[in-house]
Amino acid sequence: MIPLNTKPKGPVPSPFSAAQQATFDAGFTKAVAKYPPERSRAALLPALHLAQDLLGWLPEAAMAYVGSRLDIPPARVREVATFYTMYKLKPQGRHHIEVCNSVSCWAMGSEDLIKHCESKLGIHKGEITADGHFSLGEAACLAGCGYAPAVLINNYRYAEHMTAEKMDKLIEELKSAPGNKMADFPENKDTGRAH
Amino acid sequence: MAERIKILSKDWDKPNSWSLETYLASGGYQSLPKALKMQPQAIVDEVVKSNLRGRGGAGFPTGMKWNFVRKETMTPKYLVINADEGEPATFKDRAILEWSPHMFIEGLIIGCFALDCHLTYVYCRGEFRDGPIARCQQAIDEARAKGYIGKNILGSGFDLDIHVVSGAGAYICGEETALLESLEGRKGYPRLKPPFPANAGGGLWKSPTAVNNVETLANMPAIIEKGGEWFSSVGCAKNGGTRLFAVSGHVKKPGVYEAPMGITFLDLLNDYCGGMREGSTLKAIIPGGSSAAVMTAEEAVWASDFDTLKAKKTMAGSGGVVYLDQNTNMAHALANVMRFYAHESCGQCTPCREGTGWLSKLLDKIVSGKGEKQDIDNVHQISRQMEQKTICALADGAAMPAKSFIEKFRADFDALVKG
Ligand SMILES: Cc1cc2nc3c(=O)[nH]c(=O)nc-3n(C[C@H](O)[C@H](O)[C@H](O)COP(=O)(O)O)c2cc1C
Ligand code: FES
Repeated sequence: MIPLNTKPKGPVPSPFSAAQQATFDAGFTKAVAKYPPERSRAALLPALHLAQDLLGWLPEAAMAYVGSRLDIPPARVREVATFYTMYKLKPQGRHHIEVCNSVSCWAMGSEDLIKHCESKLGIHKGEITADGHFSLGEAACLAGCGYAPAVLINNYRYAEHMTAEKMDKLIEELKSAPGNKMADFPENKDTGRAH
Repeated sequence: MAERIKILSKDWDKPNSWSLETYLASGGYQSLPKALKMQPQAIVDEVVKSNLRGRGGAGFPTGMKWNFVRKETMTPKYLVINADEGEPATFKDRAILEWSPHMFIEGLIIGCFALDCHLTYVYCRGEFRDGPIARCQQAIDEARAKGYIGKNILGSGFDLDIHVVSGAGAYICGEETALLESLEGRKGYPRLKPPFPANAGGGLWKSPTAVNNVETLANMPAIIEKGGEWFSSVGCAKNGGTRLFAVSGHVKKPGVYEAPMGITFLDLLNDYCGGMREGSTLKAIIPGGSSAAVMTAEEAVWASDFDTLKAKKTMAGSGGVVYLDQNTNMAHALANVMRFYAHESCGQCTPCREGTGWLSKLLDKIVSGKGEKQDIDNVHQISRQMEQKTICALADGAAMPAKSFIEKFRADFDALVKG
């Protein structure tokens, strides 16, 4: 176990496979190059994105490793990782579906769409299907309000003007796509956010 | 109807409107060489004359902000772009980044030259990675290959680097000082002001920094091409130019529409959005993102500029306009809005952290049918006590809808409670 509140003394082991390591290193070098040399800690958010893209979620081992690369103590990394909703602190389904439930989407029926997803997938918001293929959540406004209801898949893919039928089609399509493999690490113990 | 003036959306109907070829063919990158031959202060003077008001939400005069930064002696200076676009009902910066990224980039280069800034960041919300961010990055790469970005731009001796960086899902990071914290690699806790970002000690890495919205900068090529006076004449008093209105809700044709500053909400609805959809009649308007005080159907005749709406105790805000119809229960709508603020409060200030939580709980109780009259009064009372007590304006943005929904649509609340 890596202590959170102190700087690690020795080198922190990498959570990546050799192939993943090469991808991470290339992305990391590019991210750090965007900032003045003495400001490299600014690259924490992009580095966490990189790690999550490779592992599917952010286990503590990844937070500690990213911190060690930027000389940021694990507690500080955790503070950042837990603050932002795009960072997933526990494994998700291989396809993570988030339905926007802010005001414009709500006015256009997002709550019905969420209920439809729940019955279609047989899970509630915040849960993962038994086969690990899907998880479901709610998103805050995605800037797709005029194309409501808006849906976000796996953090980056937008599906807009959604209806129950279009949702069914999308779910069918995702069923046969491999999606994000969730790396096997012990789950973060306390995954609570401020709210 | 008079001919519509299009500044920002003039290329959107063209095929591949986002490409360099399309932008060049429609006269793009003509303002940049002109600006590079001007004195930087002369550019800012032109922006002052244009009466351009920031399009991020507060409507702050852009020329004035830029003069604050220019007056500072500390270097380096920064211009940081707010492309976080998180205010519910707002989706117009995304339209610029996806459909006219070069217009924004040209404006950004001009702005950096005016502020003597050599390194700039475009802070985009993380969810934009594969869409707007990809388009924006492509535009930057194309502009760099043409020599518009980099060392000694067009032989002027001016050097500039532009980087796109992404957030990770936090509405608060749209607040400019939270954005700077996040850009520096930390959680998005807004900073206590003063010092303001424009001042030494308050900006990016403590440097004097102008934080501006995407749409604000996208206006620069037109201001340089046609002059500040012309730009000012397009809008209404002290509100220069056009504005991108992001319209959603129960209208026939939701979408992003460019209209002169100060257009009334009724004209925006009928002349641009095709009116309310079949079977819908107008009940309420959210005029500038969900943080703005709500308006009634009768108030649709109000002008949409920053000063009119401020005088009417609401705000033009982010330009995100929601038209709601007769079937919308406003108590349920407010409960939805408040869940957003309770979720997005960063938790730094007690009145906001606790206040948004209480409001959300009370409203959920009211809409579940378990509420009492006193709960409605409590929501109103608590929201008044949250105003002007916190480091940033998120709490005020939660209080404004809470107060106004109850004041203007009390019957919807009363019908749900006992006693
Ligand atoms: C809670 C909160 C959220 C905000 N979100 C955004 C946003 O997403 N985009 C934006 O441009 N401005 C946002 N603002 C306004 C910014 O703080 C700032 O005023 C703006 O970026 C300045 O740019 P402008 O002068 O060009 O409008 C927000 C403000 C607050 C208080
Ligand atoms: S309200 Fe759903 S995308 Fe904005």
